[in-house]
Amino acid sequence: MTSLADLNQNIQTAARRALADGRAEVVFGYRQGTAPFTAAPHFARTPEDCGQFVWTSFARVNLAAYLPKYPGKVALIARGCEARSAVGQVVESQFPRENLYVIGVGCQGMVDPEAVLAREKRPIREVTEDLTTINLAGDGWTASLPKAEVLRRNCKTCVCRTPKDLADEMLGGDAPPLPADDFADLKALAAKPPQEKMAYFKGLVKDCLRCYACRQACPLCYCPVCFVDETRPQWLGKSNDAMDTFTFHLLRAFHCAGRCTSCGACEAACPMDIKLREFNRLLEEEVQKDWQFVPGASWDQKPPLTTYRPDDEADFIK
Amino acid sequence: MAEYTVKDKLSFLKAAAGSGRRLLAPSSKDGRVRLAEVTPDRVAFDYLNTHLSPKDAFFPQTEKMLAFHKDAAKPGAFVYQPLGLDKIQPTVVFGLRPCDARGLAVCDRVFQNDRFTDPYWKTKYEGAVKIGLACQAPGPNCFCTAVGGSPFGEDGLDVLAFTKGEGLGLKTLTPAGDEFLKGLSGLESGGAAGEMDGLKKAAESRLPGPLDLAKAQAAPVMEIYNQPHWKETADRCLNCGTCTFFCPTCHCFDIQDEENERGGVRMRNWDTCMSWLYTIHGSGHNPRPTKTERVRQRFMHKLKYIPLKQGGACGCVGCGRCVQHCPVNIDIRAVAVDMSK
Repeated sequence: MTSLADLNQNIQTAARRALADGRAEVVFGYRQGTAPFTAAPHFARTPEDCGQFVWTSFARVNLAAYLPKYPGKVALIARGCEARSAVGQVVESQFPRENLYVIGVGCQGMVDPEAVLAREKRPIREVTEDLTTINLAGDGWTASLPKAEVLRRNCKTCVCRTPKDLADEMLGGDAPPLPADDFADLKALAAKPPQEKMAYFKGLVKDCLRCYACRQACPLCYCPVCFVDETRPQWLGKSNDAMDTFTFHLLRAFHCAGRCTSCGACEAACPMDIKLREFNRLLEEEVQKDWQFVPGASWDQKPPLTTYRPDDEADFIK
Repeated sequence: MAEYTVKDKLSFLKAAAGSGRRLLAPSSKDGRVRLAEVTPDRVAFDYLNTHLSPKDAFFPQTEKMLAFHKDAAKPGAFVYQPLGLDKIQPTVVFGLRPCDARGLAVCDRVFQNDRFTDPYWKTKYEGAVKIGLACQAPGPNCFCTAVGGSPFGEDGLDVLAFTKGEGLGLKTLTPAGDEFLKGLSGLESGGAAGEMDGLKKAAESRLPGPLDLAKAQAAPVMEIYNQPHWKETADRCLNCGTCTFFCPTCHCFDIQDEENERGGVRMRNWDTCMSWLYTIHGSGHNPRPTKTERVRQRFMHKLKYIPLKQGGACGCVGCGRCVQHCPVNIDIRAVAVDMSK
């Protein structure tokens, strides 16, 4: 791949082909956003619509989150995490495999706006990008930053930058693999006394507004009614009470255990920049270790916490 | 109305804080600017706007309204006790941006009008002297001028201030503003209004021109309501509450009782029309059953119903927070264009 313009062209061509071949009635991808650091999910149903597709480093959500119960055949222009989450939707019976066509794209990671703003204090009026850099412009100045230096936290330890094992077709070159998350920071935390762990996790969500952007952006949160929205009976208070807020995050994390693909949509959607993945990361490691299961890696293996085998470890039952 | 100058911002803030009123002002905490009770030396000046809108100061996310407990003397009866209103202190709010002050004025017309007076809002809002700080360098997502505002706008403010070297220029806009500044020491009379005009023109020239809302506002409600574009915008909407929680004019709330066997508390919490729960009836019927109805409601409310009910005042003040934070880039400016087609 020589340029972003070439990649955009390839994405648009592949999308038109998926529509023309009858593989899909709609193609999910992104179009350019209307403000700095934004991109808009774009659903193309005609060849003309496909002309707006772009590759963007500012995708804040996970397109697989739109799949559950979506009527008709869908082609998904998918980063690695999105391909893995789409596999998850299929495995969890939320979307039929035969209605899904995955157009995989090698991905060098999404850009974290907060990381850019930490480096560049002047007001940024325009953001453009090419394959490896983002270009900033303000009042009478321009600057460039290598994307690799301002990646989103989850993208720094991505284990599926090139989803060629999952995609029905691949675009773009292979993105060089990265070292996986070693969870060192959380393992250190896990060794601390319970009070310290509690203080850490409570501190993470002290600014939470309970806007539920994390839940709404999450491809795993497809329950018709979330437990926090139940009213008969109402399980959880509606105020900004710290324990109610904490309960929401803790329960959501356990609901996602062994299913999360670390796509980071929760953190990218959060308007308060809460490190929401901290609730999930160690659970991922436990599931990998105890069940040798990586979410979204196989089209037919169910997540371990949704299945029962007689030989499952049960030594925690006394 | 009067105009003043002060040579030193800090001494002005010290005088304001010494006025017997509680000082609320933008300050930085954990890398984010928020409106909070602060000491004068902690007040931030180098901010585009506060991260959250200032509505929280007058309409908190959670507000306890009353407490109740079982009456020991009378079986089956409860004793009610109002909460909070007596604890509200006179306040001076410094550093409101003109867009946000205008947003609070939109809320004020909802909470106080010829039909209702909300004591929780009224006590806090009217008990505050509101000093705006004009935007001499508007931000990348700002569009107050597109919806009838100005970086030097005066709606909803008692005093408008602007930065003048190390000091401030101040212009009073209401009797409450006049009264407050008269009582402060260290102010010199005059020297602000003339300079303000030039700065205002310069700041406005850096902002977008007006959105053409005339057609949407003149058309019958049902014509806009039935437009085909709503579904397309709703397709990508996540129905999270980010836009409504960040919006300085969103004012919907839900009243809840939290109780145990002895008694409890009645409180009101911010609610969001983006949630299906917002409209579900006790019967199970939901008059806004899909994302399309919910998305339409939000933009109709901002751009059609509020102008209808508030004599033409736009329900969007162009602060740009929803544009910045929407995870799927639903941009109210683009929706306004669709509504005007």
